[in-house]
Amino acid sequence: MTTLAAPLPVRRAPMTRVLRSELRMVLRRPRTLIGLGLLALVPVVMGIGISIAASDSSSGAEGMAALVVGNGMLLPIFALSIAVVMLLPLTGAMLAADALAGESAHGTLRGLLMAPVGRGRLLAVKAFGVAAVTLLAVVMMAITGIITGVALLGGSGMLTASGTTLSFVDALGRVAVTVVFVAIQVWAVAAIAMAVSAYTEHPLIVVVVTLGVIIVSGVLSSIPALDWLRPVLIVTSWDAISEVIVDPLSWRPLVEGTLRALCYLAIGGSIAFSRMLTRDG
Amino acid sequence: MSGLTEHGAAAETSAAARTKGLRKVYRGTVAVDNVDLEVPMGAVLGMLGPNGSGKTTTIRMLLGLVTPTAGSVELLGHAMPDGAPRALPHVGALVEGPGFYPFLSGRENLLRFAAAEPLLSSSDIPRAVGEALERVGLSGAAGRRFRGYSLGMKQRMGLASALLVPRRFVVLDEPTNGLDPAGTREVRTVIADLHAAGTTVLVSSHLLSEVEATCTHVAVLNQGTVVAQGELAQLLEAGGANLLVSTPEVTLAVDTLRDNRIPARPVPDGVRVDLTANTAPAVVEMLVRAGVPVHEVRRQRTGLEDLFARLTEDTAVGEIDDLDTLITQEAR
Repeated sequence: MTTLAAPLPVRRAPMTRVLRSELRMVLRRPRTLIGLGLLALVPVVMGIGISIAASDSSSGAEGMAALVVGNGMLLPIFALSIAVVMLLPLTGAMLAADALAGESAHGTLRGLLMAPVGRGRLLAVKAFGVAAVTLLAVVMMAITGIITGVALLGGSGMLTASGTTLSFVDALGRVAVTVVFVAIQVWAVAAIAMAVSAYTEHPLIVVVVTLGVIIVSGVLSSIPALDWLRPVLIVTSWDAISEVIVDPLSWRPLVEGTLRALCYLAIGGSIAFSRMLTRDG
Repeated sequence: MSGLTEHGAAAETSAAARTKGLRKVYRGTVAVDNVDLEVPMGAVLGMLGPNGSGKTTTIRMLLGLVTPTAGSVELLGHAMPDGAPRALPHVGALVEGPGFYPFLSGRENLLRFAAAEPLLSSSDIPRAVGEALERVGLSGAAGRRFRGYSLGMKQRMGLASALLVPRRFVVLDEPTNGLDPAGTREVRTVIADLHAAGTTVLVSSHLLSEVEATCTHVAVLNQGTVVAQGELAQLLEAGGANLLVSTPEVTLAVDTLRDNRIPARPVPDGVRVDLTANTAPAVVEMLVRAGVPVHEVRRQRTGLEDLFARLTEDTAVGEIDDLDTLITQEAR
């Protein structure tokens, strides 16, 4: 035995090459491009709508919506707080659905498994693709939001809900905090979607189940008798975005929301991983 | 430690792939049962079987895509599915139809799969993709979206991705599906080239002529089990040999042979003589002595088609004994 040469190390395709290839593929998919384009347009449309409504004077807007008038740097935050409820989770679910279920239906997942890309590695590559593109979507919304806000709604710096005014740089910081927070929330939703996606070949099922979870969570969180359930519902975190425009910034709800999202990420990720190890290719 | 023993096993093995007692049950349905398959190194093994006989399931287990319910798989000396990272880089496969991204062009699709190939260095990828496209005659259409490809072109893409890297073992599941006669010939050429280069090839097909033309070995599956396997020539030989004698005096010929206890029966334009216990010259001499005008004598080998029909049809009860001996002989 000892005279035998040690077995050759397992050769793998360089991870960065596989990740780059994954990203290139996802960004070439027409669905992804259309989705990203539409999401980027959301703050623009909202900005136009708000500036028209504002010139109409006495609109009965409340909360953040009322504050956005003449306060352009708030637009990206406002837009993201609206999009995180449905549009962004839908995007995350769609990407996750295509990543495993869709590729399985096309037979391309099998091709990657036979290359071979290890099963755990393949899930990591797919998760990276979903995470990167959802982050891109959030960042794009923030950028078009800032541009539209500054151009159409104007204002110097950011007027907070507490009545103070932040400098432009501080306002950018608040937008950045929102971007990170929202991206993590969408990743949490996408992780649930990845878990479902690992079990099926039908992308539509993934989207339906994920949206179902979000809608049911929303309904449950609005029932006062079920208040005890709120801490475990993903939608609970999303109210925390309004904290971003309070001065001084109160981190607690944001951190709590992030931790909740990380729990979802861990659970969704583990389920997807355990299924990927045994999934038939 | 396990790596060492694995390596040791790889050194002494002579089979590119081997399964033992392979069984797969899908939700109570037995897809494959007790499959002992051996693909000798360097062989071109044709896997035959009617639809639903377990060919694709066996191949998927061979490649580690599906975990067997019971039994073991060894691929290039590595136990599957755990040995997949060591074995699969040397294996090219076209399984269950080609899977590609419809919105990418042929070239982009191959670039994507090439990026996942462990044995390709990044600088070699464009060349490897170009050569693979050239090899299957898709260079001209490489820039078009996969979505718009014809069935035959899609099949060629599958072949191209299986051949991106020089392989030690190539698995082709129904490679000629959707191909026109020219495409079928090209697949044969590809298989012949691979064989000449020392690559082991496993081709599953239900097209018997294709297998007969390209394979050195055959494995026949029926209802989830291997009913016969071995060298093609040997299997055909074991199917029994006949002598076809054309003569106008059929009755006289049959009577003469039967008087000498040689099984014979009339066929159009002559008689068919069983050669199990006799040689051809002896039969001819006997007939000529008896005054039978012999116009033509031809040795008739069992075609693969006959063999296949006998092995996969349940009807021929009388031949079961004969068949069993055939199988046991070949299984040894």
